[in-house]
Order: sequence, then C-alpha cells, then structure tokens
Amino acid sequence: MATPGATILSDDVAGPIPPALRGILPVLIALPVLALAEVLLGASPFATYLLSVVGVNIILAVSLNIVNGMTGQFSIGHAGFMAVGAYIAGVTSLSLKEVALSFLPVAASDQVLFVVALLAGGVCAALCGFLVGLPSLRLRGDYLAIVTLGFGEIIRVFVQNTEAFGRALGLSGIPQYSSVAMVYFWVFLVVLVARRIAGSSHGRSLWAIREDEVAAEAMGVDTTGYKVRAFVISSFFAGIAGGLFAHFVPIINPGSFTFVKSMEIVVMVVLGGLGSTTGAIVAAIFLTLLPEGLRSLFGAMGAEGSLAQKVDQIRMPVYGVLLVVLMLLRPQGLFGTKELWDVLPRWLPRKKKGLS
Amino acid sequence: MSVAATSHDAMLQASGVSIRFGGLKALTDFNLTVRQGDLLGLIGPNGAGKSTAFNVLTGVYQPTEGEVRVAGQKVNGWVPHQINHLGLARTFQNIRLFRALTALDNVKVACRAQGALHPVKLGQVAKMGTALRNYRDWWRALLLTPGFQREERELTRQAEHLLDVMGLSHRRDEEAKNLPYGEQRRLEIARALGTRPKVLLLDEPAAGMNTREKADLMVLIRRLRDEFSLGVLVIEHDMKLVMGICETPSRRCGACPCRWARARWWPSSAPTARARRAPCAR
Repeated sequence: MATPGATILSDDVAGPIPPALRGILPVLIALPVLALAEVLLGASPFATYLLSVVGVNIILAVSLNIVNGMTGQFSIGHAGFMAVGAYIAGVTSLSLKEVALSFLPVAASDQVLFVVALLAGGVCAALCGFLVGLPSLRLRGDYLAIVTLGFGEIIRVFVQNTEAFGRALGLSGIPQYSSVAMVYFWVFLVVLVARRIAGSSHGRSLWAIREDEVAAEAMGVDTTGYKVRAFVISSFFAGIAGGLFAHFVPIINPGSFTFVKSMEIVVMVVLGGLGSTTGAIVAAIFLTLLPEGLRSLFGAMGAEGSLAQKVDQIRMPVYGVLLVVLMLLRPQGLFGTKELWDVLPRWLPRKKKGLS
Repeated sequence: MSVAATSHDAMLQASGVSIRFGGLKALTDFNLTVRQGDLLGLIGPNGAGKSTAFNVLTGVYQPTEGEVRVAGQKVNGWVPHQINHLGLARTFQNIRLFRALTALDNVKVACRAQGALHPVKLGQVAKMGTALRNYRDWWRALLLTPGFQREERELTRQAEHLLDVMGLSHRRDEEAKNLPYGEQRRLEIARALGTRPKVLLLDEPAAGMNTREKADLMVLIRRLRDEFSLGVLVIEHDMKLVMGICETPSRRCGACPCRWARARWWPSSAPTARARRAPCAR
C-alpha cells in the first residue's frame, strides 16, 4: 500500500516465531547463505570484481534513498561520504597491515581487522554527515543540495592535497581483504535497515516529512532531528561502501569520488523511484552493468573496438538520455514509492488495458 | 498591553501578541484565553489575520511582541513540534495531509510523535534524555525488539480508535489523497487528535462544505470537546455561519469590519459574548 514497508512486520517472517528472535533472524539466515555462495562462486576475478562493484553501488543507492527518497531531501554529495569511508578505512587497514590477532587464524584475523577498518570509515563518514547535516537540514528546500555538493568537492580537494592520503596519486597497497560475501553481507544489512526504517514509526515520520514538512512539524514530528538522523545513517553506509570499495580495487584516488560519481548514485535512486528500496537495487544493478553490456554489444557489432573502448566516456550521455526518457514516460521512477512486490503483479494487467 | 495573570486552567493564553512583517502589522495586541471545555470562534473577514494568529499560537511565526502560553508554559521562541508536545494541535485551512500515506498511517504519525507517548519534560537534562531515547528508539526499530513491536501495536490501536471516532474506519487503508474532501477534513482532525492535544485549533474546518455538512461538523466538534476534554478554537471567516451555528447569541462589536469578535459558544447561558478591541489589519 502507500507506505512501503507497511507489511514488514507481517511478511518478514511467517509463522510463530518468537518476537525476540525476529529481529536477528534474517541475519542468521543470511550468513550461511552468503558463505555458501562465496564457496560456490569463487570463480573468475572479473566476475568477483563486477559483483563487488554492483554490491557497492547497491549500498550507495539504497543508503542515498533513505535521504533522497524517504525523507525527500536532496543530497548530491554521496561520493564525498564514500570518499571519507574509503580513505579512513584504507589508511586504517594500511596501518594495521602488520598487525595480526594472535588468538585467531590469519584469515580470520584479517577479516576482523577489515571490519574494524570498515566501521572506522563508516563512523567517520557518519560524523561528517552529522556535521554537514546539522546546519543545513534545519533549513528547507535546496540548501542541502548545495551544501552536500560543496562537501563532496571539499573532501576531494582535501584528499588531493594531503600527504597522508597520497595526494592525487591515491592510496595503493591496501590489503585486498574484501570478498563478495563481505560486500553482500553489507548489502543485506543496508537493505534490512532501510526496510525496517520504512516499516517503523520512524519511517512513517520520514515519509510525513517528505509529504509535508510544515504539517509534520505541526503534528509534533521533530523534523530537523529526524532529517539529521536519516542523513547520519545514510552517510554511515556510504562510508561502509567506500571502505569496501577501497579493499577490492588496487588503488583509490580522488578521481574515483568526483561529482560524477555522486550524480551516478542520484541517477540510480531517481531511476528506481524515489523512496523505493528495491527500485534503488534494481537501478543500481542495471546502471552498473549497462557499460559492460554496451561494451560487449559494441564489441559484438565489430565496431573496430573503438566504440567499445569509449563506453566509459559515452556513459554519461546515455544516463542523460535515460533520465530524460524516464521523466517523460514515468516521472515517478520505475517503481515510484512502491516496492518490487507491490508493482510486479500490477504491471501485467495494466499493459493489457493499455494504461488508459 | 496588559498581561493577564496566568491562571492554571488556561490551556492557551495569548497576551498582547503583535506580529509585524517589515512594515506590515499583521496582528496587533491580540489577546485570547482558551480553557478546557471552551468552544471559541475566531472570526473576521479575509486578511484580518486569523490564520496569522494561528501561526503565532502554534509557533510557525514568532510574535514580535507579547507572549503566548500553552499549559502555563511560555512558548515564545519554541518550534512548532515542541509546542505541539505541550498539547496544542491544529488543522490547516488548505488541507495538508500526508497525501501518499494511508489514513491509518496519517494518524499513526501523529500518535507516535513523542509527545503522545512520553510526557514532555523541560530542562537540559531532559533534553539529553530525549536525544538518547531517540537513538535508542531507532535501535529498537532496527532490531525489532519485542517492546518496539508492542509499541507499534499500541499505536495502531490508538489510531484505529481515532479513525473510528471520526467515522473513517472504512477508509483505514486508503491513501489520504484518494479520500473525498469532507473525509480529508475529518482525517485531519483525527490526525490532530492523535497528538493528544489539550487545545485543538481548527482553521476553517467547514470550508467547502454545504449547510448540512457544516451542521454535522459542529455537532461533531462539540462531541470531541466533551469526549477528549478539549478546548477548541475555530477559525471561520463567515460571520453568518458562526452566528448560525452558535447556540448562544453573540454580537460583533464596533464598526470596523476587521475587528476581532470573540464569540463564546458553549457552555454559556447568557449573551456573554465579549468582543475585544483588536487589530485593524488595514
């Protein structure tokens, strides 16, 4: 129905499950499944890389959706928070490289340190989110967009001029701890958090702010507080995504966290439908795989490899066209504020009726 | 400008409130007292400043002069949600529902807003406590603790009760924007009641209704006042309507068309309607 996630309390787990267990049950189910998938998948490095990128983009899109979609604020500096997470986690990992927890096997110790680095990155990003959000979220309208845009650029320029972060050359030699299972564990976590927020009273307050901020305030919703908290959660997961990213690419440099990256995430959220978590997931997968698809398409067309090589350059115009088409045909995004399972059954009969 | 002695039973009190936007005096020396069980009308032609008065009372605007007290607490400088937590709820002239949310969720948002669940405390320590509780509440929501689930059920029960009172039970799961006009108005009142107000401010609740519906609405408002022991303040710019519905004769004072008339509707036996000198907006 109207509030996405209104059903979460009922459809999350079916049957008589003790209420105390319901909170952590999805995690308990997900962990072995992911471990199994990791064992089964351990195939080509390229597939691993691509899956990881898709995962990171899903985390970014879903977390941005909490602010842009559910709360109706417009943040366009998500890459900035990602950069904070990436660099903090990267530096933490680099400095802990020689450390090993003696009571654990090497691999396990590495993973523990990895999680510590990730959390450090996430917490720093959340802190930045708090500092950025507190002054700008008190205001209404587009101020947040301007401030976050500025923040993204500030972070990039700051990193570019700081010796500890490797200046423009970037950080290299970060231990490659990341695995597909780890990335998708965080994907799972962010989706769970987004869905639980959407289904809770906090989520309803966020929706109320999106619908009508004045009325929400008059009905006793602490709008500034809610907006800041949503923004902090969103930045935290952006930081985590950055941390994960730093641990599977060979090198991170300021060029990875430009305004273009921020816009890419915004496009994912808008394309999926502002406010739809599954929409953000679908759009993130689609837009991440699109350049790869185009590349193999052009390669198959045999365009002398020239177009195929330029895919990364023509990607942005393609996004632009995609957005224009979307705005004309479906202004609310693919799913609107609905989730996949709300939309799917409805599309089929509607096509027959001709969408009158 | 006289500051009236604060009596404890005055749930809402405005004394000598003025508001100026630049050179424009939107409101001058506005005085008002609403007690529990009062049913007051605020009347005047368009542009007299009725809605401005509402906005000052609810904290949307800050008064340039004078003070507003809610439940004995001075609220100058407070933001609307804090004032709401003290027990002041309002509806809007142009309906402002959360359009994409269901009727039930509209009311649940209001029920949830902390004031409804926890008593408002003042002071720095209480503020810290509130902040900590807010973060704890988020964790409880994320972990779906039994306490959280219980609270959610309780909210649903409260909201369903309010919908029932307003005769909207059959619209429970319908999106607010799909409701007919009259029901949207009623839903807005239900939402305002969800914040457990002591004083309810209704901004032209009868706008766009026919005579019959208006009469029904007034009966409903009276019932709400008794059932929830509220003080009610109604804006209506149509003098005839207010007079017509009003059970006690009231009169408007003065010749200037933009004077505040204070019509005491109920309970009252004698024609005690007092009209106050007030602000000429022009």
